[in-house]
Amino acid sequence: MREKIIIGLAVFAGALLAWNMNTIFTALPDELNQGAIYRIIYFHVPANILGMTGFGLGMLLSIGYLVTKDLRYDALAASVTEVSLVFASIGLATGSIWARIIWGVWWAWDYRLTSWLVCWLIFGGYLMLRRAVDEPNQRARFAAVVSILGSVNAYISYKSIEWWNTQHPQPVLSIRNGGGMAAGMEAPIWWNLLALACFSAILIMVRTRQEAIANEIDTLRRMAHAQ
Amino acid sequence: MLLGLGAAWLIMFLYVVLITLRERKLRKELDRVRKMVETPNK
Repeated sequence: MREKIIIGLAVFAGALLAWNMNTIFTALPDELNQGAIYRIIYFHVPANILGMTGFGLGMLLSIGYLVTKDLRYDALAASVTEVSLVFASIGLATGSIWARIIWGVWWAWDYRLTSWLVCWLIFGGYLMLRRAVDEPNQRARFAAVVSILGSVNAYISYKSIEWWNTQHPQPVLSIRNGGGMAAGMEAPIWWNLLALACFSAILIMVRTRQEAIANEIDTLRRMAHAQ
Repeated sequence: MLLGLGAAWLIMFLYVVLITLRERKLRKELDRVRKMVETPNK
């Protein structure tokens, strides 16, 4: 059943992405001031949205573990957080390339970029911490604390472009009262978000299965040592 | 622009390769540990 869902999601996401890429590259005009480079936004924004929401979801799952002590919550939190970190990396890389073209520099230490980089480092540390601790309950407890800390930082990063004057552009999406894009130019962002969310779901499902295999290996090892 | 899109897909591709390799490693390890449990004296 899981395999069928993964294949179904992959076909849907692939088709949606192909159709949307066609719209982005052939139907949409270049932006007045930025030219063609503005199209990076169609990956940059969905990737960062998936990164931020994934970190938030990881935090809720971590709280779920702390409340119930059920390791399945921890396994799911680890999977969601790892995949979210991949999307956050895409957001950072695409943003940096856009900045090089538009600002003339790869990086600026403004509130948004710095807080997002700190967030990326915290969740990178989260994954390293998970590798360093062997005892499952201790690992889950430590990881949950880091996840909560990192998610608070993710929220600060999300709001930073509203709270402070940043070199990073202010909100442009209509749901954040930005209104900085024409409707026809904004819609492909949401379609790309849907396609990438499907890819994200596939990766989370695969990672969750891997966590289950790793837990089974741990259990069998304990049995082998007990014999 | 192509550099940006290329970077996005490269990161995604590398991660897919990474989890594919991890899956293979985990399955091999699972088989090995299962055999170890089934034949503890060998």
